[in-house]
Amino acid sequence: MKFLSNKQSNVLMLILAFIGLNAILLNSCTASEKITSKSGAQLWGENCQRCHNTPSPATFSPEKWETVGMHMQSRALLTETEKEKIVEFLKQ
Amino acid sequence: MRTILRKLHLPIISLLLFQTITSKAQQVVVDSSLLDRINALEKQTNYIKPGDDHFMMVGLTTFGFVSNKTTMTLGDSSSIIKTHSLGDASHYEFSPMFLWRHGKKLLLEFEPSFSNGGLGVNWAAISYFATPGLIIRGGYLVLPFGTYNKRLAAGWINKFASDPEGIASATDYGIEAEGGFQAGTMKWNYDLALSNGIQLQHDGTLQNVGITDNNKNRTFTGRIGWLPLANSSLELGASLMTGKVGDAGSQNENIKATLYALDLNYVENIKPFQLNIKGQYGITDVDNTSYMNPVDSSQYTFNNHTTTGYIMASIRPAFVDNGIKNFELAARFGNYTSPAKSLWGTKDNSLAFALDYWLNWRTVLKFTYEAIKGTNTTDVKLGGTPGLVTQSNSFYLQFSVQL
Repeated sequence: MKFLSNKQSNVLMLILAFIGLNAILLNSCTASEKITSKSGAQLWGENCQRCHNTPSPATFSPEKWETVGMHMQSRALLTETEKEKIVEFLKQ
Repeated sequence: MRTILRKLHLPIISLLLFQTITSKAQQVVVDSSLLDRINALEKQTNYIKPGDDHFMMVGLTTFGFVSNKTTMTLGDSSSIIKTHSLGDASHYEFSPMFLWRHGKKLLLEFEPSFSNGGLGVNWAAISYFATPGLIIRGGYLVLPFGTYNKRLAAGWINKFASDPEGIASATDYGIEAEGGFQAGTMKWNYDLALSNGIQLQHDGTLQNVGITDNNKNRTFTGRIGWLPLANSSLELGASLMTGKVGDAGSQNENIKATLYALDLNYVENIKPFQLNIKGQYGITDVDNTSYMNPVDSSQYTFNNHTTTGYIMASIRPAFVDNGIKNFELAARFGNYTSPAKSLWGTKDNSLAFALDYWLNWRTVLKFTYEAIKGTNTTDVKLGGTPGLVTQSNSFYLQFSVQL
């Protein structure tokens, strides 16, 4: 016996997936100490290499790193904290 | 004992005196206005006023040589074509990228591009960094479908001289909202876009670059990324693109295309090696409709279902202390299956190997060998040659740099 049409089933699946996703997020919505204590250098190593080689801090001036940081935050969808820490590290 | 103390008396006093002098000297430095001045200058350098802007140009170029041998076999007969070229539309690119930052909230990005195919624009958009976790963008966008086009296609990032077959870029006029956020030790990111929409062509293919708006319907594209590991080494993504693709007022007005993709990115440092695994698999479904046969103008139809995917792995001894660390070995397997009985029906498998030499972090010399075997699945009625097997072997020597 079929209680739901295909469309209704799809909508129900989407709702359940949304609820499940929210449950996961609510369960772990704050960054842990392990994450917040990461340095800019560590985040630079972890995140840049996801797509390309890690850039040398000597490549650009501090002002340019600020601009590149915004571009990369958008490309790699970095969190705001990650972007700020990585840019601060690269500017040194 | 007393004698020993007497003997040590002078050196101890000397040491104490020396310590006092040096600490005084340090005190003098600390108390001076020099540090204050340095701090003030640092603050001045780091502080960006809302109206301050900064303009810079980066970009990339890719150039090289490709030697190709293509063997076409149908039954017992075969023909061979050999070509040698210093770059072609797919393997030569000169793309300066202009970044214009206005304060800390606005960024204008514009990348014109010249290839053998001519002069074009890869993207031109303005982004507003609204709040942490929300960037709003408008303009000519690279649509967030999978990760290859937006993150990995640049010549100095791609480990191979060629792109995986069938992973077409999708660029369109629209608006976009995106961001990344931390959730415990995991990370999530989202990228949602609303654009004019991909366009159905007369043969059933979808035009996805340089599109003219052909109907009132908008196309939704979205991707959700999940980084379950605390060190961000693994990212899994799911994408969806959906919208009506037919011309307004035509028989295909209500024809809808839905595209799905899954992507994977895993980068792990297993010292002294760095391991890199990436992949993407996509499905394109277009509602059934009829098309005009170019041979006799009759109507024909087919199941407009396309799949495309690739998986690649590379290894680099990045953590050794000699020149070997500049070499990277990579392999990639790809599959592209377009609709049978269509004008462009084919079933292709590709295998590519690359040996890269990194001159620095953003400059690479690539040697790539790629073999693609395709079996034609078109229809004789459409003027096609089903069963035709095309074996293409290419050798590339390519130089790519990001500036």
